[in-house]
Amino acid sequence: MESMESFTNSNSSWPNLRGSIATNIFVLFILRFGIGLVPGMSTEAAWTITNLTYYLITFIMFHWVLGVPFQLNQGEYEDMTLWEQMDKGEPFTPAKKYLTTIPIVIFLMGTHYSHYNIPTFTINFIALVTVLIPKFPSMHKVRIFGINQQPNTD
Amino acid sequence: MSQTFVSETAHKVVTAVNSTVSLAYDVYSKVPGATVVYKYVRDSHQNDPVRTLLELVFIVVMAWYFFNNKPKGKNEVKLTEKEIQELCDEWEPEDLVPELTELQNSDLENMAVIAGQILINTNSASGTKVKLADGKERLNFASNNFIGVMNSEPIKEKAVAALRKYGVGSCGPPGFYGTLDVHVELEQSLARFLGVESSIIYSQGFSTASSVIPAFSKRSDILVVDDACGMSILKGVELSRSTVKFYKHNDMKDLETVLRKVQESTKKKPLTRRFIITEGVFTAYGDICNLPAIIALKEKYKYRLILEDSLGFGCIGQTGRGTPEHYGIAPADVDVYVASMANALASSGGFCAGRKEIVEHQRLSGLSYTFSASLPALLAVSALEALKVLETAPVLAVQCQQNAIAMREVFQKSGISQIRVLDTFSNTPIIHVRLSSRLANRQEEEHILQEVVDTCIRDGVIVTRARYVEAQELALPVPSIKIMASAGHSKKDSEKAASVVKDAFKKVLKVHRLG
Repeated sequence: MESMESFTNSNSSWPNLRGSIATNIFVLFILRFGIGLVPGMSTEAAWTITNLTYYLITFIMFHWVLGVPFQLNQGEYEDMTLWEQMDKGEPFTPAKKYLTTIPIVIFLMGTHYSHYNIPTFTINFIALVTVLIPKFPSMHKVRIFGINQQPNTD
Repeated sequence: MSQTFVSETAHKVVTAVNSTVSLAYDVYSKVPGATVVYKYVRDSHQNDPVRTLLELVFIVVMAWYFFNNKPKGKNEVKLTEKEIQELCDEWEPEDLVPELTELQNSDLENMAVIAGQILINTNSASGTKVKLADGKERLNFASNNFIGVMNSEPIKEKAVAALRKYGVGSCGPPGFYGTLDVHVELEQSLARFLGVESSIIYSQGFSTASSVIPAFSKRSDILVVDDACGMSILKGVELSRSTVKFYKHNDMKDLETVLRKVQESTKKKPLTRRFIITEGVFTAYGDICNLPAIIALKEKYKYRLILEDSLGFGCIGQTGRGTPEHYGIAPADVDVYVASMANALASSGGFCAGRKEIVEHQRLSGLSYTFSASLPALLAVSALEALKVLETAPVLAVQCQQNAIAMREVFQKSGISQIRVLDTFSNTPIIHVRLSSRLANRQEEEHILQEVVDTCIRDGVIVTRARYVEAQELALPVPSIKIMASAGHSKKDSEKAASVVKDAFKKVLKVHRLG
């Protein structure tokens, strides 16, 4: 009776759908150009703000919020983040690969367009590391400092 | 000698390095855009080696993540074609139907064959008296016919009328065009009978408890269950994926210990739902749970109670309202009251009664309610009629208890020390007669009990061995003969039946030199 599943978890199967990479890139475009339209915004600041916004939103979506918005499999996913739910916890799936590649690519583009000055680099670097660490397979279901720990683990 | 060796290896190393460098230069000059990349990297360096290093680290991480694949199974064994072929040739399929054991064979041969009814007006199918294939009538003490309405004529007439009106099956789950007016009426009647706010009908008695428990208890919740609970509760507990703690059968001290242990181990964790699950009258032993003590403990430790009263509903208590009434507790004080309608109400299916929220939640979460067809109308009507019989003549419940008491007295006064019968609760309708001391193995005991059953059937009383799916039971009860008291028999008949069983035991035990 190990992993009994009556229903597929539709909360975590959407990154595998067709067009999710394209949508992701489109959203990044909109974000970058929307922020760049704000008067008085330099290119460097626009890139940094885009990066930080993207990191913040994806971190909350994939690595902070727990569970599913509906009752599923007797509460199986109650204590798992979206990243842990994706592909049933399997590491290195295509969806996880593209979701890891995109933050690194926008980081490199950010540092390029901000002409490599140190303060923006440091900010981007710290944000990138925060976003990348939970994506490694050895961090599956690891909760540091007891943040987000649920009673499920017994 | 060594000198030439050293100079030879040196020569080899130099040629290797030379060829690698020239290869790299070839690639660099031939791949288009290689110069651009090189210039870009050189420009972006900008005399900050740390930063460049960090960026390179990220590029390496990205490449590693991209090209890595999930680890293969550690125990993957690669077989050659020949080995695969050998394994296929050696394989022999298991028999679809395994050989029967000796006990199963004798069971099959001596099975009581009931002469079924062919005409509507003959009364020969199951009931209080049964006609077997050899033409003789026998008293039926093997059916859960507590108030004696099994095969009753007035109820059958109403059921046939319902059959003509509604057809046979209800053709759908209750939530999707399967609810009929008779279902609603039955739910309301049951709620009114028990004095609770509302109730919900399930179409199979066994799957009622198995659906109610997972509807309320999920993965992080805690269930404290009596370890003599039957298979339907055990399946429900398994399906709920909750943490289960068992306490010794009817042992209130052990229950309090378990509750206290749970309290201590979950002191710092967030509060989750907690339930105590017990049967009212236990199928495995025939005793009643200590409901007042359980309710006191549940109030103290803040648990909810799920009471499964299949063998108590209709036959325990002054008016048949089950185990709570036996102790003077209102059934509405039990949070979730579950029972089967296949016993006292001689119909099919089960119900769950409780507060409105409890019942309404099950209309979407009770899996057997949402995903199984609803109770056929004719069975709902027979349950309704049986309930009316019980309401108008509550003395039937008392009669059932009195018959049970009389039968137990016969066994206690029998003076046969090799058999024993539970006597702490003498008014429960299920009587288990067991051997006082265990034999070498279970097969032998079952064999002896089967002989007793066969002797009883020959002498005019139908009883049965208590049967279990041995591989699946958590705590397999001791082998026993199960006698079910019924208000359909007179007190004299019940006592006569008990003495028949007693004499059969005497005979068989003498033959086996056990008494």
